[in-house]
Amino acid sequence: MTSILPRGVSDASFNQALSEFRAIVGNSAVLNSDEDRQSYIDPYAMGDGKDHDSSAIIAPASTEEVQAIVRAANKYKVALWPVSRGKNLGYGTASPAEAGNVILDLSRMDKILDVNEKYAHCLLEPGVGFYDLFYHLQEKKLPLWMSVPGNSWGSVIGNALDRGIGYTPYGDHCEQICGMEVVMPDGEVIRTGMGAMANSTTWQNYKYGYGPSWDQMFMQSNFGIVTKAGVWLQPEPEMTAKVDLAFAKFEDAEWAIDILADLRRRDVIQHNIVFGTPVRAASTMSQRADWYEGEGAIPDSVCEEMMKKLGLGWWNARISLHGHEGVVKANADIIRKALEPKMGKELEFQFWAKGEPMEKAAQGVPTTMGLNCVNWYGGRGGHLGFSPVLSADGKIAFDYAKKVKSLYQEVGQDYYASFTIGRRHINNVGLILYDRDDETTLNRAKKLIDMLLKEAASRGFAEYRSHISYMDAIGDTYDYGNHALRRLNNKVKAALDPNNIIAPGRNGIGSRK
Amino acid sequence: MKKKPSFSHMGWMLTPVALIALVAGCSKENSAPVPEAKAQPKISAITTATFGRDSKDEGERLFGKECAFCHVGTSTGSFMLNRRLPDDQKGNADLNKRSDLEADYVKAVARNGLVNMPAFSKIEISDEDLDKIANYLARKKP
Ligand SMILES: Cc1cc2nc3c(=O)[nH]c(=O)nc-3n(C[C@H](O)[C@H](O)[C@H](O)COP(=O)(O)OP(=O)(O)OC[C@H]3O[C@@H](n4cnc5c(N)ncnc54)[C@H](O)[C@@H]3O)c2cc1C
Repeated sequence: MTSILPRGVSDASFNQALSEFRAIVGNSAVLNSDEDRQSYIDPYAMGDGKDHDSSAIIAPASTEEVQAIVRAANKYKVALWPVSRGKNLGYGTASPAEAGNVILDLSRMDKILDVNEKYAHCLLEPGVGFYDLFYHLQEKKLPLWMSVPGNSWGSVIGNALDRGIGYTPYGDHCEQICGMEVVMPDGEVIRTGMGAMANSTTWQNYKYGYGPSWDQMFMQSNFGIVTKAGVWLQPEPEMTAKVDLAFAKFEDAEWAIDILADLRRRDVIQHNIVFGTPVRAASTMSQRADWYEGEGAIPDSVCEEMMKKLGLGWWNARISLHGHEGVVKANADIIRKALEPKMGKELEFQFWAKGEPMEKAAQGVPTTMGLNCVNWYGGRGGHLGFSPVLSADGKIAFDYAKKVKSLYQEVGQDYYASFTIGRRHINNVGLILYDRDDETTLNRAKKLIDMLLKEAASRGFAEYRSHISYMDAIGDTYDYGNHALRRLNNKVKAALDPNNIIAPGRNGIGSRK
Repeated sequence: MKKKPSFSHMGWMLTPVALIALVAGCSKENSAPVPEAKAQPKISAITTATFGRDSKDEGERLFGKECAFCHVGTSTGSFMLNRRLPDDQKGNADLNKRSDLEADYVKAVARNGLVNMPAFSKIEISDEDLDKIANYLARKKP
């Protein structure tokens, strides 16, 4: 008894499609009861989440099953929404952009197919989680490290396909993908890069192959379903060092970002740098009511109290260094020279050398501690990510921070941001926290996101990634040449997927209104 | 027919507990706004991330794969639950150490979610595996 149907599909035809799906994957891997669909509703939804309800869930165990499902989906014109582990919390979790899609849950395809110690790469199925890979590397005592996102519950591949970010070297996750296997919308399987040669021995060694390189085409897109991907890992370094930086004043952002971005660009710092506000740090370990129970945005004076108690600054960053001993020590000195005179104190690096207890190492260890932040306002918490891309420039970032903080204040929301600094860009990861059952916080969040969309666009900043409810709105801001890129994407979509059966509306491609 | 889970015995978890005003006891390392002695015992992030994974007990192994990363040590589940525990039980929020968990209750929470905990689908944890996890958590503790 399904209360919602895939778009444009009749009840009878959907029932036939479901029987075919059951014949492919078995009864227990097709779910469509209210109870089961509810377990896929976004736990962070703005409200009850039913506006993104699915019509069913189907969970294949192999590439061949995915192919068969895609063929059946074409026959009945049933749209599929593929997820790897479906833990895209803050961006819609496993829910489809278009209500009524069948969620194609790939989490049963969870094999670690290969790990190569010498080349530091692996070949994974989409259901492999960060925890699974981490445990595998530990268990086999492989000297290979991974980069993990702030919430590591998800899939190594799923996260990379949404261009997720980590905070140690190799943290630009989409850049670590080397070679994919993809089921195309017509059910054919392709392999990208060197994998296009049947007996290739270099699929995970060289990304580009011969002719156009297609890997990026399957990221943040709906042109295919990725069933395997190669991922590069970090060879365990000889030494690491880490240091926490707390910048005392709000205005420090301007010079601090300039210094950190320059060190990042020169690869003295080899990872994306989180540069975050006190509420960002405090929300992972406390609730708002511990600090303030008043209406409106939390006052600066309360933030300053919070900073004092928690040892935070207005901006907080963790820097880690990785490499051979000589390089790590030299880079630590370069950072000291760059920051100490400005900060007016000595930096205390914690060093780790190979062989010492791993707890001291600046290694990426999967964690879900960040999820505490949804409890900031109490109740059934949730959040929405809004993350425009800025140039890696102190003044630009600081001006934007001032404006955004004032917008948060205007609607009465506590300012939460991280300027995640890359070599030439910043991902201004902002979370808008709310209590799902409190209309006031929800309306505030909606109002704020509209304001932020406009503000960012007016400055020439656009989002790096999008929540399912805002995929078209963010697509609209990419408007050069009367949305020439969207028109290209839609042309490709129509050519590859004429029935629009893979993730209609994903990133504004093939949206049906 | 499946029995609808009853939430009546979850009352104490759902009531907002008086918030701990004692923020003063925070040090930089353990900055949870719970007095130092009442915070969760500290274990390494690596232990939390891999708890139970190589256990001989299948229930513990499954608990390790599906639950422990949030519910053992310094992580979200234990952290949030610790805040809700009555004062005399603080520091004992790790699910594997609790002695008041009934198997049906564990199953109901896993399937329906609770406050900030998301629900688990039958694809993620089969009914059979959930039984094993629930029995492991409800086992008699020495
Ligand atoms: C507190 C908090 C902190 C977070 N911190 C971070 C962070 O630091 N960095 C970060 O990157 N994210 C972060 N996230 C967001 C999110 O939780 C992670 O990115 C998570 O890894 C995404 O879930 P997943 O890996 O299961 O991907 P999925 O949900 O499986 O995939 C994401 C999307 O990619 C597409 N997709 C997935 N698999 C396939 C496939 N096989 N074929 C085709 N398309 C596919 C689908 O559109 C899907 O919706 C955070 C979230 C929270 C709540």
